[in-house]
Amino acid sequence: MSHRPRIAYMPSDSRVHGLYPLLKLGWLLWGSLAVFAVHSPWLVLAVLALVWLALRLAGISLRRDVRGLRLIVSMAAFLFALQALFMQKGTVLCHLWPLGPGYLPVTQAGLRSGVYVGGRFLAIILLSYLFVMTTEPGRLAYALMRVGLPYRYGFALITALRLAPIFEAESNTVYQAQLARGVRYDVRHPRRIWTIMRQLLLPLLVSALSRVDALAVSMEGRCFGKYPTRTYRKGVDFTRRDAGVLLFLLLAFVALVAYVVARVET
Amino acid sequence: MIALRNLSFRFEGSTRQALHDISLDIAPGEFVALTGPSGCGKSTLALALGGYLFRQFDGQASGSVHVNGLDTREDAIYDVAEVVGLVQQNPEAQFCTLTVEDEVSFGLENRRMPRADIEKRLRWALDIVEASHLAERTLTTLSGGEQQKVAIAAMMAAKPQVLIFDEPTSNLDPTATATIFDVIRHIREVAGITVIVMEHKIDYLLSFDPRLIVMDHEGRIAYDGPARQLLADRHEELANLGLRLPGNELADAPPAARGRAQEVLAQTRDLQLGYNGNAVLKDINLDIHTGQIVAVMGDNGSGKSTFLRSLLGLLKPQAGWVSVCGQDTRTTPVSVMARHVGFIFQNPDHQLFADSVGAEADFAPRNFGLHDVGTRQRIDALLSSTGLASYRDAHPYRLSCGEKRRLNVVSILSYQPRLILLDEPFIGQDWGHARTLLRLLRDETQRGATVLWVTHDPALARAYADRVLFFSSGRLAIDAPPEEAFGALKRTGHAGYLPPGDVVP
Repeated sequence: MSHRPRIAYMPSDSRVHGLYPLLKLGWLLWGSLAVFAVHSPWLVLAVLALVWLALRLAGISLRRDVRGLRLIVSMAAFLFALQALFMQKGTVLCHLWPLGPGYLPVTQAGLRSGVYVGGRFLAIILLSYLFVMTTEPGRLAYALMRVGLPYRYGFALITALRLAPIFEAESNTVYQAQLARGVRYDVRHPRRIWTIMRQLLLPLLVSALSRVDALAVSMEGRCFGKYPTRTYRKGVDFTRRDAGVLLFLLLAFVALVAYVVARVET
Repeated sequence: MIALRNLSFRFEGSTRQALHDISLDIAPGEFVALTGPSGCGKSTLALALGGYLFRQFDGQASGSVHVNGLDTREDAIYDVAEVVGLVQQNPEAQFCTLTVEDEVSFGLENRRMPRADIEKRLRWALDIVEASHLAERTLTTLSGGEQQKVAIAAMMAAKPQVLIFDEPTSNLDPTATATIFDVIRHIREVAGITVIVMEHKIDYLLSFDPRLIVMDHEGRIAYDGPARQLLADRHEELANLGLRLPGNELADAPPAARGRAQEVLAQTRDLQLGYNGNAVLKDINLDIHTGQIVAVMGDNGSGKSTFLRSLLGLLKPQAGWVSVCGQDTRTTPVSVMARHVGFIFQNPDHQLFADSVGAEADFAPRNFGLHDVGTRQRIDALLSSTGLASYRDAHPYRLSCGEKRRLNVVSILSYQPRLILLDEPFIGQDWGHARTLLRLLRDETQRGATVLWVTHDPALARAYADRVLFFSSGRLAIDAPPEEAFGALKRTGHAGYLPPGDVVP
């Protein structure tokens, strides 16, 4: 009954999957910040190369596993072409039409800008994919609680993660039950559409309320909320490998700050 | 251990008492089976014993409930939770985390137990439900039976003195049902705690030699005593309450009611079904005839519901084809198929769309443009025969679970589809309700309709079906009349699928 969503966690025993979740969150934030803060196509290419390497290490194939890749790459190519064609400062490298001197000049600055803008778009999307596809959401929630997120919020996140696919499956069942009773979705009248949507949402609401009752009994029956804090069976799973990656990220961050400061001073 | 005195409870907005003047004593280590017709108040009583009823639900309560000296009406729910564990009907609905180890540890972490102690208790709890091999699994990858084992382990981890099971096997196939009752037996032997099981399936509990408490429709305790003695002495009274008693399925089935195969209504050839490119069922070749009740059986996840969905065209074949009433589901829209094929889904709440019982019964006929006098008369007759006529103006969600299920059936029979598909329609239904619906469906086969009915209930299948389909490992393993099918199931080692206490050749 299930179908794989466009972007979702892909379980694996890879080294990237095994990294401490908050480290990967830090890597996502660092990468996104860096490609915005430093207007350098080289940095963007470096981030892309690192993401590609991490995806390879995670056993994720861009072609096989990243759904919607064609659309993302097309969008990046479009952004690149826009910049390359309309940014006309600097040295002219060639003309696209007709061949030889004439129309549609491509400049060095245009190419740089194209690589930067298109690459930045691609880098941010792929960084996000890398994070989501290699980070188990439950482990992330537990890691956040271990560093101070109040556990009620942490379990709100876990409950949402748990219930989302259940509600998706239920809404599909209600939709199918409507079809089975002769409801037609190919109507255009706004009032009729509203009626159909109401008929879809009411069973889901009733089901959600009954789930809330069952869950509340289950949580209170296991003393959830009895104390302001709780213990955790699992320790903080921060390993030496995580320390190495953290060191690399810190050095990269320092280098980035130094580069930005140097650029501002000059 | 447990003392109830004159306990009554009425839910806010309801006119009837859910619990009515209940007085009861249960001794430490006792094994109690609590049964009664649907809506008799079994689950409400379970919530009262855990103290949840008085805090999470609005209503009027009187009387007292004491468990191990704690007053569950007054004392903190967390204190009561140290003594009473409640395993609910649907394991998946009570999970709070994403993995087996996290789920079993959840209550211990909330109690601020040190990490080393949690680890020990976790191993003990998984061991006692014989689920140590599941420790590293995520909950979504577990079967229904495995999920229920984990839900039991999560409660046992706190070492309660009373463990209450509220219909713990209602969503499970016969194999998983037998496993869960084995687990309950093991817990009782090892932990020696008080166990209360709310259950319709009395057959499965007889081997525990339990004390049997029977509630009636008014929320009262009608009978209380040793199970075997009650069943012998009060058989007729218990049957009149609508209880499913060992062996009464065959006695209640209409005599010589077997439908005879007539013309072919539906066909599948080389049918392959699945999701995301993965096959769930392969090589299904079937002719389904008019005028029959066909029981569809198999373990949870064996593809029974998938097969039913393909007959309405909700799921298109990956290979091969399905034809119903001469229409190929690959090319015919569901809206056209639906006129000939009625589908009743598992959860009654998922298929109530109108604002009143009358409108709900008329919902599909309206969509199909049936406004004739005959349809109206048929709806009136169906509402009367199912006892729903007096609720005609009530909102469907105000009905009890059994009444909702009857309304689901009425809303399908109102437009007389030729093929009626039912996906486990009797979950949580008492024998009285199930019998009413089965008789209604048998009448439909007399006019030439065919009923395909997914069921986990071998005794009912044997009593009412003309043909049994059994799916296993993605294939149609058995396709035969009931006697022959159950004989084949016995020979192939599917003992859980044999009617309890029945002699099958």
